[in-house]
Amino acid sequence: MEVTMDPLFLAWSYFRRRKLQQCSEICSKILQDSPYDQAAWSLKTQALTEMVYIDEIEVDQEGIAEMMLDENAIAQVARPGTSLRLPGTSHGGGPTPAVRPMTQSGRPITGFVRPNTQSGRPGTMEQAIKTPRTASTARPVTSASGRFIRLGTASMLTNPEGPFINLSRLNMSRYSQKPNLSRTLFEYILHHENDVKNFFFHLQALDLAALATEQAQFKDWWWKVQLGKCYYRLGLYREAEKQFRSALSHQEMVDTYLYLAKLYQRLDQPITALNLFKHGLDHFPGEVTLLTGIARIHEEMNNMASATEYYKEVLKQDNTHVEAIACIGSNHFYSDQPEIALRFYRRLLQMGVYNCQLYNNLGLCCFYAQQYDMTLSSFERALALVANDEEQADVWYNIGQVALGIGDLTLAYQCFKLTLAFSNDHAEAYNNLAVLELRKGRVEQSKAFLQTAATLSPHMYEPHYNLSILSEKIGDLQSSYMAAQKSEDAFPEHVDTQQVLVQLRQHFAAL
Amino acid sequence: MSLFKARDWWSAALGEGEEFDQGCMCVGNVDNSAMGHKVVVGSYMGMLRIFSPHAAKANEAGQGAAEAQLLEVHLQNAIIQVELGKFVCSDLLHLAVLHPRKLSVYSVLTAGNVEHGDQYQIKLVYEHNLQRTACNMTYGTFGGVTHHSLCIQSMDGMLMFFEQDSYSFGRFLPGFLLPGPLAYNSRTDSFLTVSSARQLESYYETLAVATEAESRQDPDQPLKTGGKRLTPDWILVLGEQALDISVPSFSHSSSSIFVLGDRNLYCLRDNGQIYFMKKLEFNPSCFLPYTSTDGTTNLLLGNHTNMLLVYQDVTLKWAAQLAFVPVALRVANFDLKGAVVSLSWDGHLLCSYMGTDPSFFSTPKVDAREVDYEQADAELKRLHKFIREASRTQVTVKASSALASSKLTVGVQPPLAVTQDQFVFEPLFSAFLNGRYPPADLNGDITLSYSSPTVPHVIQCQFKLPLALVCTATSPSKSSSSSSIFKITVDTNQPPVDLAAIFPIAAQSADNEGNSLAFRFLPGGLVTVLASKTSRYRIQSDAFEDMWLVANELVHRVDVHFAKQGVDDFKKSFSGPLPLKDYFLSVDHHFQLRVSAQKYQDLLSERAAQFRAIQRRLLTRFKDKTPAPLQNLDTLLDATYTQVMSLAEAAEENACQLEEAFVRLRSSTQLLVLLLSLWQGLTPEQTNILEATMLPLLHDTPQLQGWEESCDAAVSHLLRTCLSRSPKDQATTLAQAGGPMLGLPRDTARLKKHITLLCERLAKGGRLSLASEA
Repeated sequence: MEVTMDPLFLAWSYFRRRKLQQCSEICSKILQDSPYDQAAWSLKTQALTEMVYIDEIEVDQEGIAEMMLDENAIAQVARPGTSLRLPGTSHGGGPTPAVRPMTQSGRPITGFVRPNTQSGRPGTMEQAIKTPRTASTARPVTSASGRFIRLGTASMLTNPEGPFINLSRLNMSRYSQKPNLSRTLFEYILHHENDVKNFFFHLQALDLAALATEQAQFKDWWWKVQLGKCYYRLGLYREAEKQFRSALSHQEMVDTYLYLAKLYQRLDQPITALNLFKHGLDHFPGEVTLLTGIARIHEEMNNMASATEYYKEVLKQDNTHVEAIACIGSNHFYSDQPEIALRFYRRLLQMGVYNCQLYNNLGLCCFYAQQYDMTLSSFERALALVANDEEQADVWYNIGQVALGIGDLTLAYQCFKLTLAFSNDHAEAYNNLAVLELRKGRVEQSKAFLQTAATLSPHMYEPHYNLSILSEKIGDLQSSYMAAQKSEDAFPEHVDTQQVLVQLRQHFAAL
Repeated sequence: MSLFKARDWWSAALGEGEEFDQGCMCVGNVDNSAMGHKVVVGSYMGMLRIFSPHAAKANEAGQGAAEAQLLEVHLQNAIIQVELGKFVCSDLLHLAVLHPRKLSVYSVLTAGNVEHGDQYQIKLVYEHNLQRTACNMTYGTFGGVTHHSLCIQSMDGMLMFFEQDSYSFGRFLPGFLLPGPLAYNSRTDSFLTVSSARQLESYYETLAVATEAESRQDPDQPLKTGGKRLTPDWILVLGEQALDISVPSFSHSSSSIFVLGDRNLYCLRDNGQIYFMKKLEFNPSCFLPYTSTDGTTNLLLGNHTNMLLVYQDVTLKWAAQLAFVPVALRVANFDLKGAVVSLSWDGHLLCSYMGTDPSFFSTPKVDAREVDYEQADAELKRLHKFIREASRTQVTVKASSALASSKLTVGVQPPLAVTQDQFVFEPLFSAFLNGRYPPADLNGDITLSYSSPTVPHVIQCQFKLPLALVCTATSPSKSSSSSSIFKITVDTNQPPVDLAAIFPIAAQSADNEGNSLAFRFLPGGLVTVLASKTSRYRIQSDAFEDMWLVANELVHRVDVHFAKQGVDDFKKSFSGPLPLKDYFLSVDHHFQLRVSAQKYQDLLSERAAQFRAIQRRLLTRFKDKTPAPLQNLDTLLDATYTQVMSLAEAAEENACQLEEAFVRLRSSTQLLVLLLSLWQGLTPEQTNILEATMLPLLHDTPQLQGWEESCDAAVSHLLRTCLSRSPKDQATTLAQAGGPMLGLPRDTARLKKHITLLCERLAKGGRLSLASEA
């Protein structure tokens, strides 16, 4: 029953079925017999590229070097509503920080963790080092580690004898003249050999792209997009913009719009990016990625109403879009509608999303929606699913919140202690512990906790406010006044802080 | 991610270990009977099967597949593609089967009825042997003829056309490398393919007039004479590989071409304009446009996350979970109208329909213990007690000393290390040797910092680690003791003590004949101590530095021993000469390493500057409007990068060596100080001054002031002040405060001279004191 088949055909078929490892193995065998078989070479190149391919649009992490050594000078004080750096001005009627927690850069917590969820440029080096860059770690990413993380590095996948293609030996101008090889080769260089260490490879890719564009008489949109990508990676944003614009004038493509919008976001021009997205939507009505892009920008600009509007638009096009469901859910939760949020999260659960974060959210929603029977079992599941200490800390923190809600202060105290055991820079837990300590009458301990919380996350107003109240009670009016001022900085609309400030000023005036 | 799963209506598992791909399934009324559609499946192993699924049979699990199967034959060759069409001059449908080297057209006939159903057989109508390995085919009414013709694409890029049982002509596709999907557009009578240049190409009339393929030997060679070059009518750059092309013809009004790329789905008009496109956020595996209503087209799309998606243009209408990744999708009418037929690569054939069965994902059970409440209560109480106790001790600590935020820090000298160097509560740590050389100092510091309500306090204390931490006692070997390079002899005025008595660890090691002891340091290195019959002790070793720890320990322990016995006038002395030559060896070694560290530093900065210069040049070149050749700047960049890396590695290694050398230097210096004090019988105050002079730094920094220059400055200060010959001299030197800046000296000759001078002056009776005599 054994039937012989052409190995190249089999490899080609494997590639189509994404059995990339087998495909690459067969190609290696063919290449051993006839090293100059271009078809097999090209197929293997494609297979190796596919193994490590990641859509670059979704990956955007600014390394600390890019952030601090940015040469593209942009007005430091942008007008409100035109910059991603000054998100404080909420004009969309979004929830206040009293209701919805903020990230360090002053954005409300989003419902879906993306690589650049917590972007926003820090003002100082110190803040840059403190600001969590990725979703999961609190450390800033350096360019070398943060970018283009993927499962299994390229070097593991290639054969042990060395890299499949020795790029330094390639004659780029010769390959650029072969349109049937050049695109494959380019993608290989860009995705398989990408590594920030290999700045050199970017240059090679750029070289190839430039030559190929010339070869195509500057009429090929694809090569222009690739040139733009290279420029983007090298940090030459204006050049990249020129290439993307030029590509769009040749051929409207969704990807080009996305790249260009990403570039504008990097250049801190959210309004331009929004207009671009809307322009793209005229050409590609109902394109989910464009709609999501708009929603994300609105969310980052603190314009929750519009963001939700667009997420709903996304769901009309694609009702299995996890990000949209999660973001709408969290928005409902923070606007005091836990029952509705619960429905969204349950929907995610039914769709097969099964992770710690979801159960964590479900547990909280259940609690606030007064479905106490489900609360603890949700948290139990969340604890069973934790992947790292940060998640564990979050779950315990939430259990602590629930314990506070039902008045079991001992349990709450222990939960917060556990939170700190798992993640010792959990400022919220410090703050809550401080309040509990104060109730027990341990003023010193409480003050220490509050100070820790305040130094860990200066963007939160709660520790400052609590510290202010506490200092006032023990008669330290000066500290109280200073803490109240900090609290006002973090959350100007907070009425209680303002009352404290008024009181203190009266005191000082009376003296 | 989906809410629902596709509902099974009928399914079958085909063969074992067989493989299937995109073209291996087709659906149609293969036997031209009145009954509904049949499913034809061919495998890469050469099995051809025909099924006629029925709902009634579907109910009996397992039986369904066998009863619905109409035919199973083995065709000897791999089956790449099966198609149904009017391939013979009649209106009946025939089955075309594509093998790698053969095309066969069969008619499928009912052979007779048996009790469990119809029996079928196939009859070969005609076949073509192919010169080239085929890869896929398409069929249609090429050129507007009434019957279907076939077009086969070979693996090396030739399109072969067959009109029924005759071969018409063959054409090579230009710029061919790897085959792409092939489709025929009957509205414009053109062929569509996605080439290796990642562009969609459409070929029409040039096909017929281009040069006959057979006249050309090598497809890569340009045309020499005659004929027209084959050029596409239009191209559209997609920038990605395509999985499939489909040209549905539901009605005459709709004119669209669907292309499924790796990352996008395109819908094009007949002239190659993009009508709409959709970016796919998953890896698609196959697709099928199946119907069109009011200008919108519905299509099925399978992806590699086991999903079956139904789109109406770009809007997702339904998503259903499948049990496998489909490689081929068809819509068929059996008893059930509009069933979705899907095939997986390993031969899972499924007829399903959309329903609201929830997706079969069920959350795994958490290993929640069956709670025994009494036991849990007891455990909780116990734990509560623990917690309360823990917090109570915390309180007592606070109460006894009124501390807040107390912190304990432990520090030892490298290469020793401690397991934890900062504590908040419960100071518990262990120290260990963390290097390949013995330490210079067994002392450690403990710092306790705390704040009573307002004032911060710091308490410091020193501790001494036992000698056994870094060495073990072994039995001395005669041969090594005689050949040892370095020897020191210490005289005392008391009879020698039993070495085993003052070194209890050595007592455990069996034989210590002749009152001698040997210590082997963990990193290597052997030190032997001999006690002679008279009142002498001799320490000898292969390495000068190693002797320090043992010598110090010996002096200390002998002191303690006689103090215990109540001997007051115990005196120990060293008769000299001072081993200055040996000492200078380690000085030189240390200095050499410092010089090379400086050298590496300079080289590194030079290379880094070069690297930046090349980068700048490259960037200006790339920013240039007109691309220019790189002129091997990239190679230069790469080489410089490698150099920088290797330099940095060498510098790091040097730094490690420097650290080790400094520890050794400290050992030797301390040994020298010890010997000097024994030699001249210096008082403890004087010894302290001497030690402060010789060891001004605890940490060595190569860039800033290093040991050599600091020591030199201190020694020359001593020489000029308290050890100088004339009091007048003292006065003048004291007057000029602040010498020149300290920097890395050119060599160590001056330092050596000064140290030798210091020793000589001490030998002549110079006394060290800080108070100036003048």
